[in-house]
Amino acid sequence: MSPKIHYESTDDEWGAQVNHLVCRKCGHEHRSPLLCRGETARCMRCDSVLAKKGWFGRDATFAFAVTGLLLVLPSFLLPFITVRKLGSIQVSFLFTGVRTLWADGMHGLAVWVLLCGGLAPMLLLMTLVGLFVSDWRGWKSVHAQRLAQAVRVVAYWSIPEVQVLAVLIALAKMGHVVQVVLGPGFWCYAALAMMTMLAWRGFDLDCLP
Amino acid sequence: MKPLKSFSNSANITLAASLALAAAIMLIPANMLPIIYTQNAGRIRTDTIFSGIVGLCRQGWWSLGVIVFIASIFIPIFKLASLAWLIFAARQGPGAHARRLTRLYVVLSVIGRWSMLDVFLVAFLSGVVQFGVFAKVEPRSGIIAFAAVVVLTVLANEAFDPRILWGSPASNTPQPSSK
Repeated sequence: MSPKIHYESTDDEWGAQVNHLVCRKCGHEHRSPLLCRGETARCMRCDSVLAKKGWFGRDATFAFAVTGLLLVLPSFLLPFITVRKLGSIQVSFLFTGVRTLWADGMHGLAVWVLLCGGLAPMLLLMTLVGLFVSDWRGWKSVHAQRLAQAVRVVAYWSIPEVQVLAVLIALAKMGHVVQVVLGPGFWCYAALAMMTMLAWRGFDLDCLP
Repeated sequence: MKPLKSFSNSANITLAASLALAAAIMLIPANMLPIIYTQNAGRIRTDTIFSGIVGLCRQGWWSLGVIVFIASIFIPIFKLASLAWLIFAARQGPGAHARRLTRLYVVLSVIGRWSMLDVFLVAFLSGVVQFGVFAKVEPRSGIIAFAAVVVLTVLANEAFDPRILWGSPASNTPQPSSK
């Protein structure tokens, strides 16, 4: 049931099947080690992380990805934050800032913030869930392998945790001037950020069979 | 020390170097142009990155000032300096510092995205603080230049192949493939 990423295997001197693990940072080749829970495999040459067996296991990574995906719509649509000043109340959503940037003529930046904060995490989670499901069902596809490599680019720009920190910093400063209430959208988004981090970490590093 | 010509992938050094240079150039408008306009109870201020940090510290928000300083000033400069060192070392060919430099590369990959903090901050405040004459926040053009710096430094980092520090031409290394 758990998905495997297959490496090109060769026979070693005892005729047994050996899997190769190639370090992405220095190109050094390794034999795939057997890892226990919580153990990390590091490159012999440059000491960067090759693979890690997480505490939660592969099925948990799938669960994180699914949970994250379910949180996407609530965090986009539910009220993010309610601000009160001098009697007037303003309810903002996750993408209210994006809308303001767009209205002020900063179209490129608006699209970029939307991408980094919302679309990239959503796309990442959808792809991860899709890859898990296709592997579980045994749908052999060339596209799946290419997708697994392409998803790394999406994962790099999926940074909801940075947006959460930015919001917290803004709130710390704003709390003096206006009255602020965190809405359900914020909590869903914070949970989404956590799920995305856990799911991606599990998918990226927990790659040994 | 092998000369650069013996590597089949000298192209990615040039790409990384040009992206890093572009980021360094964009750093000037990013810091000189204002990024945010705040209006609160009649007091109007237009801040650049640095003056915003100074303003935070003057108001007593030292911890916030430090966080924004690290994300918006320290990290971009650190990234550019480190990229310059990595590119310079790669041109020399494999050397004794390869391990240290690879670790630096990994650190850059991790911290790069956190510079987007300031962009999210401006976007959020602009969206949320809209109370007409009582309180208003608006973005200014400097934030676009700053976002460009963040993107360019990340692209420069991704364009740089750390395997060149170890002397293995990237095209000859066996890649994991599927069965």
